[in-house]
Amino acid sequence: MKNNDKEYLKTDYSNLKVIKTEILLTPLLIIIPLFVAGFLINNWFINGFSKSVSSFNGELMLAIIILVGNIMFDIPFVSSMIKYKKILSQYKKLSKKLKEIKLFNKS
Amino acid sequence: MVNVKDVKQRLEEVKKKLDETTKKINTIDFDAHWYRRVFHVFGASFIFYYVLPNANWVNLLDWINILKIWVPVSIVIIIVLLEILRLKGKINSDHFFGLRTYEKKRAGSYVFFAVAIVILFLFFPQQIAIPCILCACLADPIMGEIRYRFGEKQAYIVGFIACMFFFIVTWFKADFSLMILVSVVGAIGAVVGEAKKFWWLDDDFMIQMLPAILILIIWFGAPCLGLNPPVEPIIYPSVISW
Repeated sequence: MKNNDKEYLKTDYSNLKVIKTEILLTPLLIIIPLFVAGFLINNWFINGFSKSVSSFNGELMLAIIILVGNIMFDIPFVSSMIKYKKILSQYKKLSKKLKEIKLFNKS
Repeated sequence: MVNVKDVKQRLEEVKKKLDETTKKINTIDFDAHWYRRVFHVFGASFIFYYVLPNANWVNLLDWINILKIWVPVSIVIIIVLLEILRLKGKINSDHFFGLRTYEKKRAGSYVFFAVAIVILFLFFPQQIAIPCILCACLADPIMGEIRYRFGEKQAYIVGFIACMFFFIVTWFKADFSLMILVSVVGAIGAVVGEAKKFWWLDDDFMIQMLPAILILIIWFGAPCLGLNPPVEPIIYPSVISW
């Protein structure tokens, strides 16, 4: 994790705007590969498997590769997002509390 | 009556917790790391391009030609223009999530990735393009993860095996000896493309183009050795009348 600090451009991660791109693109990044894999499997099933044509086996293999490859990386990505969101909400709550106490202190 | 001491103590506690949470947030730079990885593997879905009906280079204004030739080219042009604006400082790098530090003054790897994919789509047969795209989209992040956790040597070994697997899967319709030759040469090309780092040329470009060029040479040279490259495509284009 320490390497990453040097590896990536430092941005203010407490700023929601920065993370917004990531959150907005997440459904696309996850759903599109699943759709493509599903489409290829469907193609293989209709044109290959049900007609006993082996030429479509390549499509099935590609679909499995896309599916497995994506799921393999989607799981840690989504869990890191959930973790981030949890900590961010904790941060927001605490900042709010701090503001309240400061106001109270002033009064 | 409110005790001032209690309030101060509470304030200190909240401040301490806030500092701890800020520290935690900063350690989740890892997020950018997984974001890049997911973006990489997402690229594998671009092979959907081959499901679209075949384009022809005769009537370039046909709908299918617009979709298969002009749209990818336009997307790459837009990406390049955005990158030029970012490098000139007209667009802040903060808008580009997950950029690496060395990409601040150099074109981002996604530009190289996109350019290489479009070159493969337009100028290479799908039997060459698909495994090369899979190498960049899947073998590259796998190698990255292995390197990150176990070391350089292990990363190259796993990367070589993964790339070989992609070439075997996509060339299974070819002669056995040709399939082995292509998968070994392709895997070596991909691993060398990934390993050889240039400041001005990203590995995302090299991992796709180096094996593609090597296999293209085999593709044209194979008939001289009495071997036939696979004529059948891996993905059959849809038949839609446009």
